Amino acid sequence: MVHFDPYDHATHDDPYPIYRELRDKAPVYYSETYKLWVLSRYDDCSRAVRDFKSFCNKYGVAIDEAKEQMPTVLTVDPPDHTRLRHLIAGMFTPDAVKPLEDSVRVMARELLAPHLESGRMDVIGDFAARLPMAIICRLLGFQREDEDKLRHWTDLVVQRDEAATEMPQHAITATLALYEYFEKDMAERARHPVKDDLVAHLMASEKEGKLSHAEVLGYLYILSIAGNETTTKLIGNMTYQLNKNRSELDLLLKDRSLLPSAVEETMRYDGPTQLMGRSLARDVEFHGQTLKAGDRAILLFMSANRDDRHYADPDRYDIRRNPRDHLGFGGGLHACLGAALARLEAKVAMEEILDAMPDFAVDEGGLSRMHSPSVRGYTHVPVQFTPSARAAHPSEGGRLA
Amino acid sequence: MPKVSYIEASGVQHIVDVGEQLSLMEGAVLNDVEGIVGLCGGICSCATCHCYIDDEWAAKLPTPSEGELTMLERAYDRRPNSRLGCQIAVTEMLDGLVVRLPAHQSND
Ligand code: HEM
Ligand code: FES
Repeated sequence: MVHFDPYDHATHDDPYPIYRELRDKAPVYYSETYKLWVLSRYDDCSRAVRDFKSFCNKYGVAIDEAKEQMPTVLTVDPPDHTRLRHLIAGMFTPDAVKPLEDSVRVMARELLAPHLESGRMDVIGDFAARLPMAIICRLLGFQREDEDKLRHWTDLVVQRDEAATEMPQHAITATLALYEYFEKDMAERARHPVKDDLVAHLMASEKEGKLSHAEVLGYLYILSIAGNETTTKLIGNMTYQLNKNRSELDLLLKDRSLLPSAVEETMRYDGPTQLMGRSLARDVEFHGQTLKAGDRAILLFMSANRDDRHYADPDRYDIRRNPRDHLGFGGGLHACLGAALARLEAKVAMEEILDAMPDFAVDEGGLSRMHSPSVRGYTHVPVQFTPSARAAHPSEGGRLA
Repeated sequence: MPKVSYIEASGVQHIVDVGEQLSLMEGAVLNDVEGIVGLCGGICSCATCHCYIDDEWAAKLPTPSEGELTMLERAYDRRPNSRLGCQIAVTEMLDGLVVRLPAHQSND
């Protein structure tokens, strides 16, 4: 009998054998412990994300029950979802996020510079944990000195130490702290309406009656949370996979134009978001079994990405594959809004790592993993490399493209 | 509400009301038009909302951005009148628009 527990620590170490068993032997698995269905094949997950009329988001997408939530784009269904997403979707296309590339690069260099002379650093703690929040702050116009505080709160919101049926107290407290911060920031902006950015746009839309105040808060909340830990883990997972697959790393060092494809393959092969939850709005049938209206289900995106019914040789990490149809960012109406930004950040982050420390080696003994049912990745990825004689000042020279 | 006519490669035609300012991709997906996938949710990153616009309508649409043209390179069976549905907002001016769909999207 297949047994799958998304909270099991051993499963977090290597979920892929269990994912394969689920796909092959129990494609419509039911977890008695958590009272939910588990879909694991590519075609089934892809059908489910497209069928938003059956698989709805409005009762939440986490396995545990969320608390103190404002309505967010992630937790509403059409037509509200369409209204909310539409407001800012145009700010998240690849063209629209491209102007952030220089900021990402400057910040990446600033973070790497202090470590170059020592020849060692923690890719997560010193770098990847900091970069995404810095960019989100830039995107939302928050003060740089608030970054650490905001990162602390957003980390607490997603941190889960053990299996829980509802959101733990530390996450609720941090959620409320974030709302308070957003309220203060908006009050401040209302006094000096100078900035022309995403938040200003949301505030103006609220005035025009296009969304409620709660929905504005919900937007700031989801934008602060959704792209933080996930992007951190993507950079960590990519560093780990390139270290483990040296021939792929060599390819990349020889031909940097493979970077976007390598990011895509990392998202497919070892993407951070393992799964997303849905609730059934009506009965649906999969492989002869009926999921009933009111049931909960999870879609195992990372299992779908390893399905040999969809990808040839799925357990091979092949940076030339460029699999743009993977489900690492979900798919359909709720597909990751920040995907183009995440791709940009990961590309620039890796480019800067490869430039600064082309001979990096991961110290595998120092790796440690975080434990969460939905996000998989490292909390520490220590690397060693040949020290550079002098750490260049981030704003000096280099390939500021 | 503007009416849009989506014609699947099989010839099946769907005439649906599309809310003003929704994209052609959303108009299709919200109305169960199978031939459009919309994998990336409309951020111009997947080319699975690929469609063909009849000549008489093409001129009424804003010209495609650089990003749309780049993404169209991935579309299955691209033609001179190819567009990405998620990058076209439906307005009253487009009432009666005819959109033809390819036999496949690039992910199926
Ligand atoms: C590697 C990094 C990232 C990963 C793996 C990731 C993953 C995902 C996934 C799987 C979903 C779909 C949720 C569902 O189907 O229920 C999603 C949604 C979302 N993501 Fe991301 N994400 C990343 C980065 C970002 C960034 C950088 C931002 C923004 C700054 C962001 C903002 C959002 C938002 C707002 C949604 C909800 C969209 C909606 O419901 O319409 N994400 N993300
Ligand atoms: S929906 Fe992805 S490019 Fe249009």
